Amino acid sequence: MSESTKTFKVKANDFVFFFDQAAIDAADFFKKSPEEFNLIMDHRSVNARLLEADINGKKIKLEVDGESFDMEIKDPLDQMLDSMGFSSASTKHIKEIKAPMPGLVLEIAVKEGQEVKEGDRILILEAMKMENSIMIQSNAVIKRIAVTTGQAVDKGQVLVELE
Amino acid sequence: MKKILVANRGEIALRIMRTIRKMGIKSVAVYSDADRHAPHVLFADEAVHLGAAPSSQSYLNGDKIIAISKELGVDGIHPGYGFLSENADFAQKVTDAGIEFIGPTPEAMRVMGSKLAAKDSVKKYNIPMVPGIDHAIEDVNEAIETANKIGYPILIKASAGGGGKGMRIVERADDMQEQMERAISEAKSSFGDGSVFIEKYVTSPRHIEVQVVADKYGNVIHGLERECSIQRRHQKVVEETPSAVVTPEMRDRIGEAAVMVAKSCNYVSTGTVEFLVDDKLNFYFLEMNTRLQVEHPVSEMIIGLDLVEQQIRIARGEKLSVTQDDIKPNGHAIELRVYAEDPLNNFLPSIGTLTKYQKPVGEGIRVDDGYEEGMTIPIYYDPMIAKLVVHGKTRTEAIQKMLQAIKDYKIEGVATTLPFGTFVFEHDAFFSGNFDTHFVKNYYTPEKIKEKQKANAEVAALMALKYWQEQQKKLSPVDHKSTSWKRRLAH
Repeated sequence: MSESTKTFKVKANDFVFFFDQAAIDAADFFKKSPEEFNLIMDHRSVNARLLEADINGKKIKLEVDGESFDMEIKDPLDQMLDSMGFSSASTKHIKEIKAPMPGLVLEIAVKEGQEVKEGDRILILEAMKMENSIMIQSNAVIKRIAVTTGQAVDKGQVLVELE
Repeated sequence: MKKILVANRGEIALRIMRTIRKMGIKSVAVYSDADRHAPHVLFADEAVHLGAAPSSQSYLNGDKIIAISKELGVDGIHPGYGFLSENADFAQKVTDAGIEFIGPTPEAMRVMGSKLAAKDSVKKYNIPMVPGIDHAIEDVNEAIETANKIGYPILIKASAGGGGKGMRIVERADDMQEQMERAISEAKSSFGDGSVFIEKYVTSPRHIEVQVVADKYGNVIHGLERECSIQRRHQKVVEETPSAVVTPEMRDRIGEAAVMVAKSCNYVSTGTVEFLVDDKLNFYFLEMNTRLQVEHPVSEMIIGLDLVEQQIRIARGEKLSVTQDDIKPNGHAIELRVYAEDPLNNFLPSIGTLTKYQKPVGEGIRVDDGYEEGMTIPIYYDPMIAKLVVHGKTRTEAIQKMLQAIKDYKIEGVATTLPFGTFVFEHDAFFSGNFDTHFVKNYYTPEKIKEKQKANAEVAALMALKYWQEQQKKLSPVDHKSTSWKRRLAH
């Protein structure tokens, strides 16, 4: 691989970008002070502030436009190691319904072993004084109900498991 | 008045206590298990524990609040907004206990708290109203029949509701059963009254409301209008005053109508008369909110009155010190409600810990908040973190100030409505003033915020790479090698 086509992967919050060395070299970057940066990209003049830097750990945190971005840099070697380590990851399908938000279980509308149809109400979750019906998106059989009425649940917590 | 108990929590409790202190009066806070460390508890002169975190066991326990007030020699109770603020029975019990309720009379609350009684009350004043049924119902079948008669879309509103809570739009007859059941159940658990009201849903409506202030001697003034059309889930999120579409002539008419509504129920204290305004700028009376509104700061900023101070002065029997002629708009004020909600995920509550919390400061910037860095947003209450309010000489100046204030407001740990605010204030429709309550439905998608975030993320990523490579070069590889060689030789 020639030096200019070496590609770096950067994770910035939930986004992922790839830049080759040529693009990095061509970037119009200006360091106003050790913590204040400016970069002109597509005619946009963007200012940033360095919040945290871990050079060896390849982790950098910048603030742009009032928003902070956690960046993780992967050089070509890191990317190769990642692809080897995770290529065997299994794609296990866990059939369950998770809480879309934290809240209190107000009412459970199904029983274990019950057959449910698409659009049926599974339970009602109350959060911030709003009642939200949790509906099922496909036909299924309830295997296990993992919560009880009156229980407080976190976002992403399993509510019911499906066969 | 020497001592006032604030029967509320969060930003509003703190905001009320600041005025109480300014007036040389002692403040008493109440708190639930979830709020022992909350700023309103730390700020107050005295603080009393109410009970467990759920509001039914704490902030809604009126009898306990009255008992505490008697024990501590409290001579006024301020209910804030939400919780017990529009509960006429509570106001009556407070009055019966010989304590001043800082707000309207129980009678006025009963009349305006029931949409039906409210309509009856204003009938003789010729105030226009939206088509609907003339009685509250709790029967699902009757609701379906009525809705079919009025024609869809219809709006279900909790008879005892307010602030968008217990309100649902039904677009199709098929959804009526489920929506009615939920509306009734929600109304029961939130307000203790399951009856609902059905009315025609006016398309392309603006929501404009008028602040009123009334003393105990029949003097009523209005404090100009507030434009509250930017809503999500039928709840306000952006408010401003003056409205970009209200002319001086309309301001006089709508203000006069609001004063009439207040007079029709012998209103005392501050209140808000809500109107629906159609695309031809016809206004219809919606309801009167018999409390201090969340968005009262925008009015305070342009009319120069502290509305909480006015409430306290009125409660202790003072006459209004200003007349209608004294009320002139000074500049422009805008409020953004900062909720712990994720605008990228359907505005669902985003609960968590405020790992970073820094508010903007500057001339003409006001932040009413009830949280500090490190605090957790509890699931039991309204998810509002703060109200960000700005004042400018003109609307454009206020918008620019707001955009900068949003950038300077650093919140991490939970998703907030701040990025949504940026979207609104940068939008052409908002800038032109040509928008209605469907602003979110018509213009907003999470992708719009994501696109902007992605553009910033890309620049940040490239800057990070530049910086990282530059710093790496500073580490001299030669030194490293020689160190390790030395170590090997030593062994």
